[in-house]
Amino acid sequence: MNRRKRMMDDLDQDIREHIERETQDNIERGMAPEEARYAAVRKFGNVMRVKEETREVWSFVWLEQLLQDIQFGLRMLRKSPGFAAVAILTLALGIGANTAIFSLIDAVMLRALPVENPSQLVLLKWSARNAPNIHGYMNSGDCPFTGLKPGAANPSGCSFSEPMFREIEQANVFSATTAFANSGRLSLTGNGPATVINGQLVSGEFFRTLGLKAAAGRLFEAADDKPSATPVAVLNYGYWQSAFGGSLDVVGHTIELNSVPFTVVGVAERRFTGLTPGLDHDVWLPLSDAQRITDPMRWQNRSGDVSNWWLTVVGRLKPGTQVAQAQAAVSGLFRNEVLHGSVPSFRGGEIAPRPGRPVARGAGSDQMFHGAMPPAGGNGPTEMHAPPQPAPDGTVQVREGKTSGPIPPSAGHPPVMAPGTLDNGPRTLSTEADNPLVTLLPAQTGLVGTRGEYADPLYVLMLAVGIILLIACANVAGLMLARAAGRQKEMAVRLALGAGRARVVRQLLTESVMLSVLGGILGILFAYWGTHAIVSFVSSNQPRALGFATGVDLRVLGFTVTISLLTGILFGIAPTLRSARVDLTPALKEGEHSSASSGHAGRTWFSIGNGLVVAQVALAIIVLVGAGLLVRTLQNLRSIDVGFDSHNILIFAIDPTAIGYKGAQVDAFYRDLQGRLSEIPGVKSAGYSMMPLLNNGLMVTMFHWPGTPEDQQSTADVLGVGPNFFETLHIPFLAGRGFNASDFKVAAANSGVIPSSSRTPTLVNQAFVQKYLGKENPLGKQFGEFVGDANRPASSGYEIIGVVRDAKYNSLRRDIQAMMYTPQSGGGASFELRTAADPQAILPAIREVVAQVNTNLPLFDVKTESEQIDRLLFQERLVARLAGFFGLLALVLACVGLYGLLSYEVSRRTREIGIRLALGAQRERVLKLVLGQGIALAIAGAALGIGVALGVMRYLASMLYDVHANDPMTMIGVAVLLTLVAVAACYIPARRAMRVDPIVALRYE
Amino acid sequence: MSTKERKERIELLQGTLDLLILRTLRLGPTHGHAIAKAIEFNSDDVLQVEQGSLYPALHRLIKRGWIAAEEGVSENNRRAKFYRLTAKGRRQLAVETGKWDKLAGAIARILRPAEREGEP
Repeated sequence: MNRRKRMMDDLDQDIREHIERETQDNIERGMAPEEARYAAVRKFGNVMRVKEETREVWSFVWLEQLLQDIQFGLRMLRKSPGFAAVAILTLALGIGANTAIFSLIDAVMLRALPVENPSQLVLLKWSARNAPNIHGYMNSGDCPFTGLKPGAANPSGCSFSEPMFREIEQANVFSATTAFANSGRLSLTGNGPATVINGQLVSGEFFRTLGLKAAAGRLFEAADDKPSATPVAVLNYGYWQSAFGGSLDVVGHTIELNSVPFTVVGVAERRFTGLTPGLDHDVWLPLSDAQRITDPMRWQNRSGDVSNWWLTVVGRLKPGTQVAQAQAAVSGLFRNEVLHGSVPSFRGGEIAPRPGRPVARGAGSDQMFHGAMPPAGGNGPTEMHAPPQPAPDGTVQVREGKTSGPIPPSAGHPPVMAPGTLDNGPRTLSTEADNPLVTLLPAQTGLVGTRGEYADPLYVLMLAVGIILLIACANVAGLMLARAAGRQKEMAVRLALGAGRARVVRQLLTESVMLSVLGGILGILFAYWGTHAIVSFVSSNQPRALGFATGVDLRVLGFTVTISLLTGILFGIAPTLRSARVDLTPALKEGEHSSASSGHAGRTWFSIGNGLVVAQVALAIIVLVGAGLLVRTLQNLRSIDVGFDSHNILIFAIDPTAIGYKGAQVDAFYRDLQGRLSEIPGVKSAGYSMMPLLNNGLMVTMFHWPGTPEDQQSTADVLGVGPNFFETLHIPFLAGRGFNASDFKVAAANSGVIPSSSRTPTLVNQAFVQKYLGKENPLGKQFGEFVGDANRPASSGYEIIGVVRDAKYNSLRRDIQAMMYTPQSGGGASFELRTAADPQAILPAIREVVAQVNTNLPLFDVKTESEQIDRLLFQERLVARLAGFFGLLALVLACVGLYGLLSYEVSRRTREIGIRLALGAQRERVLKLVLGQGIALAIAGAALGIGVALGVMRYLASMLYDVHANDPMTMIGVAVLLTLVAVAACYIPARRAMRVDPIVALRYE
Repeated sequence: MSTKERKERIELLQGTLDLLILRTLRLGPTHGHAIAKAIEFNSDDVLQVEQGSLYPALHRLIKRGWIAAEEGVSENNRRAKFYRLTAKGRRQLAVETGKWDKLAGAIARILRPAEREGEP
């Protein structure tokens, strides 16, 4: 730098002296002094340029020139504020929309796990050719689970048994290993009124493996995870704030979860909402305490059982270890266990029962569905509060329906059983032929959580906003072309004065990039509001917060900056190159609006301008058609006949087993509560069932149908219901009768230790009759008896006592399947109340009634059936709303572009119009001329857009319902809408053309 | 002369000018005006370089470290900036001269193929 300064300072002097010497030489040669000096100066050349070139040698030329360009660009923009405002606003809308959707994608799909060094964490995943012989499986929703249906090929999952986890932990394959699982709904008391929360059971090393710190108190240590240790709990930061007011007193405070006292030892750090994306838990508990808070029938001594897989295992790789090494080690341990370890057989209670209690026959059966553990707050797929009663034949399979509902149905993916094989004797979990193995997946991608749900709609939206950005670019490009046409003289002068074309192009590009950067800054503001609005919409439809932290972070900012720059270059290129190619002489000679200059350049501009408008209209049509299809899908879903009257129904869930009710107490409690609830003024009728309808959860059972081969199992949906269920929901009976008191007694007996000899009375729906009975009379039909064998207990089967009308079960999209209703006995329940007026109004009365029976019993999942349906449709509503918004935005932008083009055209051809009018043309003809031009462009764009839409909309097909991807009505509707708006947009410039005063126009130059 | 022509002319000479300057300085340090005169003289007035273009070239060579500048006094007792070749510049001169010879030889071979084939 110093050298440069020195050299430059001397340069002046050097040059002067050089010229002096040359002058001297000339004088010596005989020239006159003045002539000598003149010759010397001329020989030297342009001093200014020499200085500039010398300066350039030393400087970062491009940087200085860039600054110059920016300054100049700012000045030019300030001179035309109207243009700048419109351009910046248009760009802000396009860039803002993209940033908003991208920040959602970032939050849901891309963000790193909120732990230390997430790239070192791996998730264990098992796979085999056939389902292993496990008798209990629980999926906490951390990874996709293919299910263990018999015959399902190549199952895989990420749940392991506790002994397997301990073995891996001790083998020291990883620098730290941890395991976790959902605890299911926990009834919390000891902090005000009873509430229901979500918990997660974690091993002692959980927080250490993840590298987390405490925001208050301390986190778990290995010593906390021993059966003999005092039960302790760590709170979620957000939960701590909302439930305990963020008070530090909570450390050391005792709370009761499912009536078991726990001491709160600390609060997790703020950023850690949970490990698996989308699942957040209010409290963390040690694995060793799982037994205390779980119903023993559910628990089954899982800690020591190798054939009960329920823990998700995550490990941190040792630095320097290859994944392949660790994977081989873990896979080896796994194979050793499943190929050589023996599995306890089911009958005869070889599973160590809880001391002092006989193994309940139902409980001992391996086919018992073991604890779905759905978390509270609807995060779970189902409202199952306790094991659904084992169907008398012993096989109960539970799965939640995968629907379009975005409510994370993840946690508590119900355990699915493998029906055992038929051979007796010691068995292994798997065989060589099945090739069981473990792979290690990076935790970042392996822990899917709820990400999968949101992927499709997010990508569709990303596409939509991408198209909008293109429209915005075309729009601004059109504006810039119009402006460039007016700057021809300026360009010509600059080129004539010696500016290189490259320099001019660079300067113009700088102007356009500046526009887009300013648009980007404003766009971030739009994006912030937009994201905020979307997130509140989402939160208002979920029982819990979204679970994803949205916000503008570095990646999003980087994205915005990149697309701003790219946008600027994209729309700047064409007008810029056009400007720089200006033919100098004509441009310098003529006026700006003379026909000569505008004739040549203007004509070309016009066709590009036309093309841009047609492109904008076509793109807008594509977005509008997509939006139209999605809106119709939503309408179709809303107007589905659900089979029952869903208005004015209040639902709430309740689980007395969580506070210790057992056996017959539970049923008695429900009857009592039902009676009391019916008496509340405003309640027309009350009923209950194992889970409410249209709640995303469903249960399926298998049985043997008479007349089919011995080993063939038939399936049907199943739901346990209480008295008055059908009457409350207005599901009509088509034949037979409803359940009476003795039916419930029989059912209760059949679900107990020793099944009675009577069959369970069953109601079936029309689909069931169609599938299994055909023309046969359903009433009195008996099925499902089973004499019992090594794997399944005997069962006395079912008898059909009535037929009810078809009704939807867990989701709107799923077709109605064959369904059975059995009298409910035990377990958690959901109450349905039909109210005379607004359901929410009687909620306080209901709480009071429940409290009268037992003050410690929290209600949860309280909502109306209409709200429930809304939640099911949440994703469709969100997407339809956003798509509709973007469609309208696209339409507005395209029409603004059309308006701009026509306005410019009119002003450009004012003279020509004036001449025509002066020569006697009718004003209406001029109007029609301009209108015609505009409409022609709109129609061309519409045709092009519909053509593309026909080819492209089929990618949306998976999201649609009852409407074809190429639905003609939607397309026609959109085309008509666009034409109308286009006509409106053309009208103003057309009227202006019509009003041209010929005298003024002719004089105007 | 249009902008285009002038630019072309200068660009053609830019690299060669550097070479000529280095060669001139090989004989000993001298100041800017003298360099210009030397080039004119030694080329028998064929190369009429715009004298001003010398200075950016000189600064370029200084920036690359091939020549160095220092204050001095000229023949007529006036102050002048003297330029001299550095060791690096000396090496570079050899390299550039070699390249130039190669280039000139190649062009000559193309222009006068008869000398290679021999006259029939």
